[in-house]
Amino acid sequence: MGLIDNIKEYQHNFAVNSKKEKAYLSFLEQGFPNTKNEEWKFSSLKKIISNDFSIENKGIEINTEEINHNSLNFNYKIIFVNGVLDSKPIIKGVKINKHVDESPSFSNAFSALNAAFSNTGYEINVDPNIIIEEPIEILFLTKNSSNNFIQYRNKIVLGENSQIKIIESVKNIGDQYCFTNMQTNIKLNRSSNIEFNKLQNNNDSQITIDETSLTQEENSNSTVNTLLFGGMFTRNNLNFAQNGEHCESNMNGVVILDDNEFGDNHTYMDHKNANCESNELYKGIYLGKSRGVFNGKIMVQPDAQKINAFQANNNLLVSDNASINSKPQLEIYADDVKCSHGCTIGQLDENALFYMNTRGIRKEDARAILTFAFASEALEKISINKIEDLAKDLIAQKLKVDLSF
Amino acid sequence: MDKKNDMLKIDNLKAGIEGLEILKGINLSVKKGEVHAIMGPNGSGKSTLSSVIAGNENYEVISGSISFEGEDLLDLDPDQRAHKGVFLSFQYPVEIPGISVSNFIKAAITEKRKVLGLEAMSAKDLLLKMKEKMDLLDMQKGYLSRNMNEGFSGGEKKRNEIFQMAMLEPKLAILDETDSGLDIDALRVVANGVNKLKNSENATIVITHYQRLLDHIIPDYVHVLHNGRIVKSGGKELAHELEKKGYDWITKEADKKWG
Repeated sequence: MGLIDNIKEYQHNFAVNSKKEKAYLSFLEQGFPNTKNEEWKFSSLKKIISNDFSIENKGIEINTEEINHNSLNFNYKIIFVNGVLDSKPIIKGVKINKHVDESPSFSNAFSALNAAFSNTGYEINVDPNIIIEEPIEILFLTKNSSNNFIQYRNKIVLGENSQIKIIESVKNIGDQYCFTNMQTNIKLNRSSNIEFNKLQNNNDSQITIDETSLTQEENSNSTVNTLLFGGMFTRNNLNFAQNGEHCESNMNGVVILDDNEFGDNHTYMDHKNANCESNELYKGIYLGKSRGVFNGKIMVQPDAQKINAFQANNNLLVSDNASINSKPQLEIYADDVKCSHGCTIGQLDENALFYMNTRGIRKEDARAILTFAFASEALEKISINKIEDLAKDLIAQKLKVDLSF
Repeated sequence: MDKKNDMLKIDNLKAGIEGLEILKGINLSVKKGEVHAIMGPNGSGKSTLSSVIAGNENYEVISGSISFEGEDLLDLDPDQRAHKGVFLSFQYPVEIPGISVSNFIKAAITEKRKVLGLEAMSAKDLLLKMKEKMDLLDMQKGYLSRNMNEGFSGGEKKRNEIFQMAMLEPKLAILDETDSGLDIDALRVVANGVNKLKNSENATIVITHYQRLLDHIIPDYVHVLHNGRIVKSGGKELAHELEKKGYDWITKEADKKWG
């Protein structure tokens, strides 16, 4: 069989001419993207979708201890257990609901699929002028008895002058494949501010497709930090659209993969208005036989004069068997802009390793210290100490050293 | 020399790089409390010698031996040599972006103490020691939070080398062209630092092209390295003679002998 056949079995489940059916039919028409598709050139789903998946949730019980163990234990927690909202915090000025979008939009195969099948996810509405300093943790925890394909659809709306911080993680603790297709839309109204941290630290049974799209109104400021530390297959699509002037968009990523893990970060920065700024910094570290893809596109529209756009993707290939495909793209249709982009792929500096070695630092530790130093710049925009510390610990863990950076 | 008291003993050392023999039979003995200067023209093998002692894997030891306190040094990795008490001040210190001077030194000291079975140093004690050594070398406070050698001037890099030496308290310090890139004031500060760190239990090898550093760090012995061999050894007056007469009178004589 395979996933596409599993999906086809649902053709009679939709109300005729409903939006969900349209989305479903759109997906069937498109099918899963293959490597002939330029956007999926290095990211083959072939092996994954040859497996059978259950489209409905086949979760098995997760006890409180397991939940606590996998939670980062922030005060504000939104926890989904096998797709079901398990707990949510009460925060003044913030409405949190289990979200089902009645009129989902879709632009590609995965968003169509998500629009057709999603029936869970969160919706967060932040009232104007509400500033929440304490981060809100969002955890999607799953444990399956068989391969499972789950669709989450999320939405965040920030009222004018409001501010929140999020730390979101998707975690599968079962040993069966969990294929997560997550779509998140974030709307920033005037002068609002979000820091969104994505922690993707999974085992080799997790497959993730994540599309996060931010729409920013005038004077708003967004930061998305992606920490991709593990998972069998991860594809992130991160999109920013600046709908007003004086917006700032920041995206930072640290990718550390090992063994046969695969990680793909596609970003799209749409500069539609003047006097805006965007900063993008992705650092990739590839060990073992891991493979990475970076594709960052900056679009500068005709009206986007006097913007500053910066993009960099730096990669370290730690092992001879690891690989990275990096493609920075810049399209400029305005004439008074400052844009830069660049990518590097390299290895650790042998001279630096020897230098550290002569100071008594073991080779393994010297490698880890240099690797951490390489990554650290992309951690700077994380304002939550606990997450920064966690990232440091996880990096040490991934590099198999007993060091505190 | 009494072999038993040798801290460092180099015996007929031949070494090179990529199949090219650079050191063609070096013999050198250094006892604790001594300062040796190794002088020589460019390309004589000075830096190769320091690299081989420190354990740079790019250099291949063809034959001969180096022992340190009676132990075969060539068997040890560079970090193990450091733990035994060997320190090399680099001619060209490496820039390491992303690591502050204080974190770098902390990592080095923590590891050394771990290997030697000593208790870890508290953050406070470490900082106090850093402050003390910085004063010794006339270094500004901001140094510690700067990234290791990144954007440092030549003089700052050399000062940073001696600072690390002061923190690590090696038994044998090899100063490779520490004077290059230093103005006279910086040279005085650095030399003063080295002199203050000197005691009857440690030893120093000063590798230099010029005599001027030896006005400040007074050697007990001066060796002239030429074409991979020590062709002349003497006391500190040899350095003055070299300054006056150049290297030619020695190298010509040596070339006659070795061809």
